[in-house]
Amino acid sequence: MQEPFRAAASHEAKGGGEIAVTVRNVGMDFDGVQAVKNASFDLPKGRFLTILGPSGSGKTTLLRMIAGFQTPSSGEIFINGEAVSAVPPHKRSIGMVFQRLALFPHMTAAENVAFPLKMRRRDARTIPDRVERYLALVRLGGYGGRRIHELSGGQQQRVAIARALVFEPDLLLLDEPLAALDRKLREEMQLEFRRIQRELGVTTINVTHDQREALVVSDDIVVMDQGEIQQKARPIHTYRQPRNAFVANFIGVTNFIAGTVRAVSEAGDVSILRGDLMLAGKIGDPVNPPAEGDKASGAIRAEQIRLAGDAAQLSKLDCMLAGTVTDTIFEGERMVYEVACAAIGDEVIRVFDHDPAAHTQFDIGESVFLGWNARDMLVFR
Amino acid sequence: MRAARTAYPLTWRIMDALEGVAAAIWPARFRRATPYLMLLPAVLLVGLLVLGLIQIADASLRTLDTTTFQFSDDYSTANFRRALTEPLFLVVAQRSLVAALIVTAVTLVFAFPYAYLMVRTRSPGLRKFLLIALFLPFFIGQVVRAYGWLIILGNQGMVNEALGLVGVAPMRLIYNYPAVLFGLVQYMLPFAVLMLAPALTAIPEELEAAAGSLGANWVRTFIHVVLPLARPGFIGAGVVVLTLSLTDFAVPAILGGGSHDFIANAIYDQFFRTSDQGLGAMLALMLVALGSILVGLVFALFGAGTLAMGRSRV
Repeated sequence: MQEPFRAAASHEAKGGGEIAVTVRNVGMDFDGVQAVKNASFDLPKGRFLTILGPSGSGKTTLLRMIAGFQTPSSGEIFINGEAVSAVPPHKRSIGMVFQRLALFPHMTAAENVAFPLKMRRRDARTIPDRVERYLALVRLGGYGGRRIHELSGGQQQRVAIARALVFEPDLLLLDEPLAALDRKLREEMQLEFRRIQRELGVTTINVTHDQREALVVSDDIVVMDQGEIQQKARPIHTYRQPRNAFVANFIGVTNFIAGTVRAVSEAGDVSILRGDLMLAGKIGDPVNPPAEGDKASGAIRAEQIRLAGDAAQLSKLDCMLAGTVTDTIFEGERMVYEVACAAIGDEVIRVFDHDPAAHTQFDIGESVFLGWNARDMLVFR
Repeated sequence: MRAARTAYPLTWRIMDALEGVAAAIWPARFRRATPYLMLLPAVLLVGLLVLGLIQIADASLRTLDTTTFQFSDDYSTANFRRALTEPLFLVVAQRSLVAALIVTAVTLVFAFPYAYLMVRTRSPGLRKFLLIALFLPFFIGQVVRAYGWLIILGNQGMVNEALGLVGVAPMRLIYNYPAVLFGLVQYMLPFAVLMLAPALTAIPEELEAAAGSLGANWVRTFIHVVLPLARPGFIGAGVVVLTLSLTDFAVPAILGGGSHDFIANAIYDQFFRTSDQGLGAMLALMLVALGSILVGLVFALFGAGTLAMGRSRV
């Protein structure tokens, strides 16, 4: 009988909040360019964290510093409470899945998975059994004898995951390993990562530029831009309560309407004036709220806007704009309309069609009305 | 239409005319023969070499009459027996073979870190410096370089003068076996580095990082990852250095001072000193055989490495 994975204990820790990784005021300079600026966050044991950002945002640099391939220029990283800046990668208990997988081409799948166990001088008699168990975990049971080049892209991914997990590391790092896969396989592997992570309860840090992947797989998302952490929150909060315009814009499809702040209430209501148009919204960032007279932008998601042929259908909504359809984009599961609105200087607002079942269809050039609720518009400075 | 045609540049029209002429003398139906036509110069050159080899084989079977300085009309195996029985030739053969093996081993050990640093360094300046330092001796040539070593290592050379400053009596650093080995290693290093570098470039750096994160220190990463993956490069470099050292002439002649001859020097002596072309030809053939056997042995034991042209990788 095979021994069970050490899942249960870690799952308990998930609620307990024992800290696995602490990043404290970490900075990284490359020849005067600050790739990472003063980054700080805590990651409790057993959680799945995704660092999300565009290319050049410093997310990979941060991951490589946690892995030990680069030493922070400033600040300190703690793993299980110990400062690790002076600890080389091979002495850290970290499993990593690399962007291009970095499987050893001169070894079989099983030899690849056995490699970390041999390097860590584990009891040689237990290695074959353990390798087979982890190959089974990634659903590659019986494939151990295959050479790497005899495996498909998805199978190679699974070998890389098994190799990173087989020595039961304290921490699993994923450096955009799914970026090169086609969409179908990528979405399948995202769910696979989540399943394995939950089964083993291993603390995981994933790096990606794919907002969908971040939302699907993570317990927490850290959004980075230009070397700085913009927000750390659960996926649903990252999406619904973005802390600034960058996060609002990077995740999802968001329309911004610029104006001047006219009134701010204690309850967090803001109104901004654009020309003759007064727009009501909510404060987006309570830490850095707009004040009367500031330039500010109202952010509204494409799916939170309703579209109708006559104004009466939108009478229950707080805000309304008239416009003309300039383009229609059919994306399969939804229709995207681009609507130029005269009240805001013919700026284009993007709207997702909410009700495909109704089979309403607007053509280019048609006059339409847009409406939304004030609580869905977030105002950022 | 006419206006558009005159707008084409002159070079285009010249090319059109040339293509027309080419089509007239080499019609399209000959086109399948074109690749073979391009192979022709190389085939001719190698063919000439084979003809020479046949002539050498013919000469090797004729004995020299030392009274008349005429070659016998009949074939005999006398040269073959002489080459195998005369102690001088055995000593020379053994000396060449041992030297070739030592030089190959030492050169590969020295060449690896050089090639590794050249491939892996992040500084373009250092890479350029290493490349230039590698190629500079090539421009000087083997004979001049060997003479240079005579000047540096000679009794009144720089090394002995420097040793004199710290109170060490002058030593004989040239005209001995280590001097020949030293000269050969120094000569072979660039060849080995140039053969190793592409093999190392082909190893993704990420593999070494991966080995590190999986618990391997640099020694184990080297043994379990870099070395096995660099094997094709080692085989290619090894074969080139082995054959070049085994057949070298100038370094043993100059740095050995005539007392540490290799097979090539013995062959030279037969052809141009004693004028026994028969025996010289026999020795030359035996050198070809020895080299072929060695290379065949390497290929049989380790595979053809980079010389397999990527067909039997790993």
